[in-house]
Amino acid sequence: MTFVKTSKLVKPRGGSRALPPRGGASRVTAKTGWYAVGFLTPLVIVYSVYFLFSFGVLGVVSTQRVGLTFRNAVDVGTQNFTLVASDPAFQGALLNTLLFALFSVAVSLTLGFALAMMLASGVRFRRFFYTIFLLPALIPMSLFATVFGRMLETRDGAINEGLRAIGLGFLAQDWLGDPGAAYVAVAVLITYAIGLPIMYYTTDVAQVQASVMESATLDGANVWQIYRIMLFPLLRTTHITVILSVLLGSFRAFDIIYFSTAGQPGGRTDITGTYIYKATLGLDRIGYAAAASIIVLVVALAFSIIQIIVRRKAL
Amino acid sequence: MQMKKLGLTVGALVAATALLSGCAQAPGSSDGKTEIVYWTWFPPQTTIEAAISAFEAENPDITVTLKTFEGADYQKQLPLALSGGQQVDVAGVQISAMTNSVKDYLDPAEDWAADFLPNINTTMVQQTKDIASDGELYSVPMGSIGSPVMYYNATILDELGLSVPETAADWKVAVDAISAAMPEVTPVVFLGDVYWQEEMLFAIAEQTSPGLSDDIIGGDGSWEQKGLVDGLEAYKSLFDDGIVGTDVLSLTGTRPNELFGQGLAGFYIDGSWNNSLLSASYRADNNLAVTDVGATTIPLIDGGNPSVRALAEGGLAIPTASEHKEEAAKFIEFMLSTAGADVWAKDLILVPSLTGYELSDSVLQSDASVAGYTSATAAISNPTSKRDSQQDFLNTVEGNAILDVLRGTTTAAEAAAKMQSEWTSGRYPHGSDK
Repeated sequence: MTFVKTSKLVKPRGGSRALPPRGGASRVTAKTGWYAVGFLTPLVIVYSVYFLFSFGVLGVVSTQRVGLTFRNAVDVGTQNFTLVASDPAFQGALLNTLLFALFSVAVSLTLGFALAMMLASGVRFRRFFYTIFLLPALIPMSLFATVFGRMLETRDGAINEGLRAIGLGFLAQDWLGDPGAAYVAVAVLITYAIGLPIMYYTTDVAQVQASVMESATLDGANVWQIYRIMLFPLLRTTHITVILSVLLGSFRAFDIIYFSTAGQPGGRTDITGTYIYKATLGLDRIGYAAAASIIVLVVALAFSIIQIIVRRKAL
Repeated sequence: MQMKKLGLTVGALVAATALLSGCAQAPGSSDGKTEIVYWTWFPPQTTIEAAISAFEAENPDITVTLKTFEGADYQKQLPLALSGGQQVDVAGVQISAMTNSVKDYLDPAEDWAADFLPNINTTMVQQTKDIASDGELYSVPMGSIGSPVMYYNATILDELGLSVPETAADWKVAVDAISAAMPEVTPVVFLGDVYWQEEMLFAIAEQTSPGLSDDIIGGDGSWEQKGLVDGLEAYKSLFDDGIVGTDVLSLTGTRPNELFGQGLAGFYIDGSWNNSLLSASYRADNNLAVTDVGATTIPLIDGGNPSVRALAEGGLAIPTASEHKEEAAKFIEFMLSTAGADVWAKDLILVPSLTGYELSDSVLQSDASVAGYTSATAAISNPTSKRDSQQDFLNTVEGNAILDVLRGTTTAAEAAAKMQSEWTSGRYPHGSDK
């Protein structure tokens, strides 16, 4: 096993992590302060206009019964929230979102981590494998999911055809008709989308000081111990980044589900994104969809806050 | 100095952007011509372009700028464009799905269509009025569509000596014969998509309970009524009796159409908007392997009479904000005239609304296609219900409940009870709640 030597320009991570000074004398001058204001102002304006205004509209609309033209709105108070929260289809979609998110996290922290370590260890055809694993993260997921959805066809789909061709026809499934098989299909799709976690890990593991690893090797640690006892804990900030990005990404996984299973069978693989999309298709349902969006937003924010707290503690 | 240059550059960019966006927002007169903007999702772009060319040849002082959309996307794009003040002079309106979401931005059709409205089929005009919550006419329908229609590969039926099935028993005989002789062919295909299940359910249920869809979706009828439960069981029996395989339910999007076009399906059930399959020139232009196609209604499952839900479709409307209403009305009048219909009606997607319009003999060539078109047109002209849906309910509850019955996950009675429970939950305003 070889380790990439740490660049002199990169501060080491782990025990000797360089943290920004807290509370000490600030070297920020008035001039640099104005530069900062100059750079931040456009962002703040865009953020205020785009996001805050949008959130404001979303909040107002969520208390109305109104259509896409936003005309003839009828104030319904909190009725939309009550109806959304009590909808079994929404509850199922929210549960699926969390389930798929947890699965994504588990796959990223295990398979993603392991693959990244293998790639970082200088395995042959490294670039080829990088391409294989990163490609799904670089191409539009909708395209990939559409192709995958076509592969799931029971009679002529590539997956069942392939299984039959190699004598494993007994494993052929009604992928979109059987709930268990549909979950497996979604799991495969999610697993294939672990390119970004691999990238995070391979980037950060390159910053781990080679001397630390060399010391461990000299002390008699085997490869498994180096991974488990040293590298995995050393990359804990990366784990947190991966968890957050994967978790929040799961709330935006509309394209994965919509273009592959389309929520089948019977809506059992629907997630909040597909639920909200379907809700917007009816007449005067924009308020209802807005209420559903806000509930999802609150759940996602809760996850973000938990992550921030955990991250602060980890630092 | 540098700041001044930067300021000038930014100013010039802003001015250019404003100028360009202004041009995009308000096409008007250029070179003495009036430009009108036409938004639609139908018919296929090549057909509309041919119709526009014919119109522009007759009206050299008007140019038509076309913007086309995919059907479901259009349901969102048009309301947003109209509410955002974007210039649209002629708007295609999906009569069932869009009338009420855009009517506030449209001029009543009686204001601009008085000259040619008497030439339009009165039933289709009335259907269009009935869809609007205030009973006003906001668009003039180009024609009518109905579903389901069952297309069949006439060559396969001929080769196997099979007749066009009229009952489930006939259908089973045909399916068994196709399966035995042509294992690569799927006997019956249709969409497994959620939204399509309503079309299938009501077509089968209305064979013995005509008007069921109007009663439930358009009125205050219960989903638990006997006719609906019987319909669910009859639909399920197609799978139990081996006429349709559950693998068909995994076909989505354009797959059933592709399989039928490739000659890999015996029967293909879809809407009359696929009547183009009956045209030999359409099949040749699109390199379809299927050589002869006929059409009929779904065979009778438990007796009764053939049923189709149909509705006026392809509404043409003029937005209130249009600055070229006279030219827009002229374009719509052309599209609904014999000259316009001659261009787009040969696609067979709509049964034209122009009273007395007859399709050219050259469009349909085989006996099967002529008989099929006649059969489909007759059924659409005498529908058992309006082709109307509560889309959010259909996508979230109804379609999934039907699929669960077909897959044996739940019983017809349980599915009906679930639909009724959700229907009355307050989440899906309908009937007198609207």
